[in-house]
Amino acid sequence: MTAPLEKGKENNMEPLLAGIGVTKNFGGLTALNKLDFAIYPGEIVGLIGPNGSGKTTLFDCLTRVQGLDSGRVIFKGVDVTKKKPYQVAHMGLARTFQVFRVYRKLSVFENMLLSRQWRGETLLRQLKPSHPDTEERANELLEFLTLDHLTHELAGNLSGGQQRLLEIGMALMPEPDLVLLDEAASGVNPVLIETITDRIRQLSEKEGTTFLLIEHNMGFIGDLCSRVFVLNFGQKLAEGTSEEVMQNEDVIEAYFGS
Amino acid sequence: MDRIIAIIQGIVFSRRTHIILLVILVLMPLLHFGRESCKDEGQLAAMIPEASCSYLIDEKPVTNATLLTFTQMFILIILASNWNLTGGFTGYIDFGHAVFFGIGAFATANLMGASRWEEWPALLSDWSFWPAMAAGGLVAALFALMIGSATLRLKGPYFSIAMLGTLVAVREIVRVSKNFSGGGLGLNLPIYLNRPMFYYLSLTIMVLIIGFISWLRKTEFGASLVAIREDEVGAEMRGINTTLHKIAAFGTAAFITGSVGGMWAYQNTFIDADIAFQQTRTIDMVMMSMLGGLGTVAGPVLGSTVMFWLRDVVWSNFLLYHQIFEGILLIIIVLFVPEGIMGMFDRENSGTSLNQIIKGWFPKSSPDEEDSQ
Repeated sequence: MTAPLEKGKENNMEPLLAGIGVTKNFGGLTALNKLDFAIYPGEIVGLIGPNGSGKTTLFDCLTRVQGLDSGRVIFKGVDVTKKKPYQVAHMGLARTFQVFRVYRKLSVFENMLLSRQWRGETLLRQLKPSHPDTEERANELLEFLTLDHLTHELAGNLSGGQQRLLEIGMALMPEPDLVLLDEAASGVNPVLIETITDRIRQLSEKEGTTFLLIEHNMGFIGDLCSRVFVLNFGQKLAEGTSEEVMQNEDVIEAYFGS
Repeated sequence: MDRIIAIIQGIVFSRRTHIILLVILVLMPLLHFGRESCKDEGQLAAMIPEASCSYLIDEKPVTNATLLTFTQMFILIILASNWNLTGGFTGYIDFGHAVFFGIGAFATANLMGASRWEEWPALLSDWSFWPAMAAGGLVAALFALMIGSATLRLKGPYFSIAMLGTLVAVREIVRVSKNFSGGGLGLNLPIYLNRPMFYYLSLTIMVLIIGFISWLRKTEFGASLVAIREDEVGAEMRGINTTLHKIAAFGTAAFITGSVGGMWAYQNTFIDADIAFQQTRTIDMVMMSMLGGLGTVAGPVLGSTVMFWLRDVVWSNFLLYHQIFEGILLIIIVLFVPEGIMGMFDRENSGTSLNQIIKGWFPKSSPDEEDSQ
């Protein structure tokens, strides 16, 4: 098997998320080519690679927005390859998006409420007022993201950076086990990046939340990630700690530029 | 200009205005009973000329014609509000919503004993109006669940076309199934010409429906419908079972539309495939919602009212040109007031425009196409 699975054996842990031979083609273009990987509970893993290397496609495949051409995705020991996106979300997988996907015509607060955990609920429950705990959590997250003064503003009126923050809030709202962050730090001011970094670390340590993040900001990656994957042409180019990866010659050639 | 809009807004959206309006609407038909009226009003016999009969000589301040006009307006408001549930909130532009109206109308008519088919089961005949109307709604809702579970999986324009096709197909199927629809002869319902009754019935339904929809919009379910319109893929990935939500909204709208169809059939006393499944009825719903403001609670109400009276003026003054008028109005709405009357009053609502809905059908895929802030 591949390296990450061996690492798991050392730790005696089941991977939280694993991909086996994940392949995705767009017409003649191979976006993901027989990719194997595993992510273990509590890890913070970085995913880097040049533009067009298949990072976002991988996220789309993991959250079931796009079907796989072949291969399997296993989350919490369950094969989710044939599940619907909302079912995967109910299992505890949340993500942010590179292109903003906030609900522009709803208020910031409604955006947060609608991102809560919906698992096992009937439609009738949604006709009742929101649970006070949900509202409290939404308020708490908004305050943390410094968006609390915009609670009743329409999400579409926020600036790009604020929408980015809102997306992070929406991803954390359902108390997920695994969060996929797609360029979460781009367009966010440096002070706030620090706060977000702290929050991610805190969540990972206290609640054992696992993170997988796509990022071009190597400082952010180096700060947070215990392990980094490098993708190129839909294949894994390298894997290791951020220092190891940054010194890897293949990676330097493909990504950092010589 | 802003000042004027603010003043109008203050008047139109204050609760006091609504209550005053409601009281006027409730009391208005009382004038109908002011003068001597036909002894056996509500019977066909009353139509047969007696010099004093009020159907022929209008002596009352409020005539049957007035009441009928208002009833029709209320029906249009109900229909537009319901259409808005799928078309405005959820962003699925339904070009065939009149199909539920027609199905409700035919189901009610048959249940009330209008069937021309000798073998129509006696158990399903001669129902009284109320259960028949509710059953009409139920049949329409069942049909909506069936057709919706297929068509609502289609995206944007495909859904619209599929529903348009459904309307045309169902109309033709109903037309040829003579046992059900009476074919070219149509169906005659038991005659009941109590205009005040229909006036109050449609007024009550209208108030209930507006209340229901404004309550629904405030629940998480209502908000999730807007979320589906704004970003269906995002909503699905954040755990909303979008298909279930869409079908639930569609079924609810169909139920109400079907019941109203049943009421309309009883009031009209005659239906056939052409008038029950009129294409223009759908277009009315779409245009009135657009004029008022898609995706808002008050939009369809305002839009229907304004359009109804505008149309009345145009019909009575420029009879041959009224169709041109509607086309021009549509162009004006799309070009100049895309978010409708509500968009002019208050931009901070969950309303939208056809333009934005269509944009949402073709999602941005790369960051390069992002709107600049």
